[in-house]
Amino acid sequence: MNSHSAFDQHLNRRRLLQLGGMTLGGLALAGCSGTSSTATSDTPLKTGSKPGGQISILDDNTNNVFKDSTIKAFQDQTGIRVATYQQGNFNDLHDKMATMFSAQDASFDVVMTWAGWSAEFGQAGWLQELDKESVPKDLIQPALDAVSWGGKIYGLPKFTSVQTMFWNKKLFQEAGIDSDTAPATWDEFVTVAKKITQDGQYGYACDMGNPAGAYQNFLRVLLLNGGEMYDADYNPTFATDKGVDALSKLVDLLQVHKVMDPASLQTTNSSDLGDQFARGKTGIVFNWPFQYAAATGPKSTLDKATVGNGLIPGMSVRSASIDGSEGFAVNKFSKNKDAALAWLQFVTTGAVQQQIVQKEGWFPVSKSILDDPASLAALPVLKTYQESTQYVTKRYGTPWDSEFDQALSVQLINAMNGKTSPKEALDAAQKTAQDLVKKYLKK
Amino acid sequence: MRRTATAPAHVDKARKKDLRFGLMLAAPAVFIVLLLLGYPMGYAFYMSFQQWNDKLGMDHPFTGLSNYTDLISDPQFHGAMARTAYFSVITVLGGVALAVAIALLLNREFKGRTIARVLLLVPWAVPPVVNGIMWKLIFDGTSGILNGLLKSMGLIKDNVQWLADPSTAMNILIFAEMWKLLPFLCLLMLAALQGITENLHKAASIDGAGAWNKFWRIILPNIRGPLMFALIVQSMWSLKVFDTIYVLTGGSGGPAEGTTTINFLAYLTNFSNLDRGYGSAMAVTIMVLVLLVTAFWILLFGRLNRSKGDIND
Repeated sequence: MNSHSAFDQHLNRRRLLQLGGMTLGGLALAGCSGTSSTATSDTPLKTGSKPGGQISILDDNTNNVFKDSTIKAFQDQTGIRVATYQQGNFNDLHDKMATMFSAQDASFDVVMTWAGWSAEFGQAGWLQELDKESVPKDLIQPALDAVSWGGKIYGLPKFTSVQTMFWNKKLFQEAGIDSDTAPATWDEFVTVAKKITQDGQYGYACDMGNPAGAYQNFLRVLLLNGGEMYDADYNPTFATDKGVDALSKLVDLLQVHKVMDPASLQTTNSSDLGDQFARGKTGIVFNWPFQYAAATGPKSTLDKATVGNGLIPGMSVRSASIDGSEGFAVNKFSKNKDAALAWLQFVTTGAVQQQIVQKEGWFPVSKSILDDPASLAALPVLKTYQESTQYVTKRYGTPWDSEFDQALSVQLINAMNGKTSPKEALDAAQKTAQDLVKKYLKK
Repeated sequence: MRRTATAPAHVDKARKKDLRFGLMLAAPAVFIVLLLLGYPMGYAFYMSFQQWNDKLGMDHPFTGLSNYTDLISDPQFHGAMARTAYFSVITVLGGVALAVAIALLLNREFKGRTIARVLLLVPWAVPPVVNGIMWKLIFDGTSGILNGLLKSMGLIKDNVQWLADPSTAMNILIFAEMWKLLPFLCLLMLAALQGITENLHKAASIDGAGAWNKFWRIILPNIRGPLMFALIVQSMWSLKVFDTIYVLTGGSGGPAEGTTTINFLAYLTNFSNLDRGYGSAMAVTIMVLVLLVTAFWILLFGRLNRSKGDIND
């Protein structure tokens, strides 16, 4: 009662204005914070009984098939409307998504993901975990690994991607090499690359110009030499004799044999590498499946008859490769998760996967489409992928990818430029990796 | 006749009314500016005292000054500071010196001076991202224009990998930034030079002053104000350089962190590593650094002003 009268006593015009101002300010600040009251469930998402409404999708610009035909088919079959389908450059998407998630923004119900982001955003609690019942049964394991972390599944794959070797048959022939036979060992690869290298033409090129690219190129040679990045408990194990030997051989391509295009150290993505190969001045590249379509497309100097494809030659093993599969995940803050899951599942269906293989040249996520003769007829490089499944293919997507790639790339570039030895470089990188694992790995 | 010290009551009242009306009109804009600048800055300051790493969960415990003390022992931050210092010294001192030199040339009478002044503005009209893309295309190691030009002139045999070596990449970044910043600085200096009365030059010539003496004793003292402004503004821009690095290096600040300045490192820490607390501590440090550098220039020029005065005065 007393407090009430005191309030009345002080509620003059000035006080009222102050209160009004503070209320407006508070409302504005609350609006700025971007937090929503969306309920976020920790229960893994199961297939909804009858999803409906509308969804928005954020994708990278790898695929055109979704906007060309998949979205219409999805809408026709499910009655769910795709209100927005936005594509962005892969290198720019991470920051856009991190900002969106951090603000608990539900503008996009479905987001593109891959091994690194599944681990990073999954551990941050920004991706909706899926129930195992929601996962189609015939998915290829490496593709499913790309959307999983810590025993949880955070999405469904949209295509499988594994690196294989592509070679320019014209340059092989000009150098007097049998263009139909791929080099099967690292030594054979170096010999071939040496014969091709001359006057601004290089036997080999890669993309080490950004941290993720540097990591991929090191991981590939590590696996080719029978090494491992981490053991089963995520203890870093790459600074071993196998790792040092693998990195030394990579450095030798540039510094000793001089068969690696020096521009490889400033090529920042596989797409640019693909274009470089298509220009016809590079003998061999190890690249993702899209390389075949890029090298045999209308803008290329090559065609189906002059592009060779095979397993990447190994050092101490016959072959190995790295995985770059991509998928879709459901935003944890989405208000229509059932419909979002319906999109994820639709993309894994046979009809969509056939289009991804036949129209875009990526590998399928389901075994049935992989084994379908029509797929092989449409995409000859699928044969190499089928062979590569016998050998190790890994990616090691982790929540600490970003920091580690940055630290490793510094060491790798210094080693490539001869400023530090491969052993010193890997020892320093392994120390950083140990600290990061300790910081981020939730036991 | 002397004016009275106090205005009549009705004039005073009218002034107050005008003032209130003015404040009322300005209030929305001031409020929005405070909201858009003050709130993020305050929030960054708040985050910098927490262990706010999105990958470690939703809890953000208060950690006091630990993010700041970590900066002191972080070799990555030290490296970024050294690169920022190198970049800033060259772009600020070199940029302003070059701008004064170009402005002196453009202040002289010569045929085509108007065209030269217009051409000077071209880099200023180019958007920063386009500027970065342009230099990337020029310095590309495989199909870059510069390599093609040097080869056609017989100066190099093999392509030079301009952006593959950390130190070369940093120097190219400086070059690209200088190209972008010079028009503004030149215009500023040119305007300052045109403010010096011709009589001073004539008087100096009559007294037998040479070019160097004229520059040192007449021109420089009379452009101290704009010079201070140019140094302050350019220092701010150099300390927070971002867009050219992002475009030139594909968003990596590489090779081998060779172009990662403190502002870029703060961006990587905040947005790539999702370590918001530590990244915010870096951002606050940059803000303090900008304030210190600004204060340094103001104090330096204030002292110069007090000791020398202005010849035009």
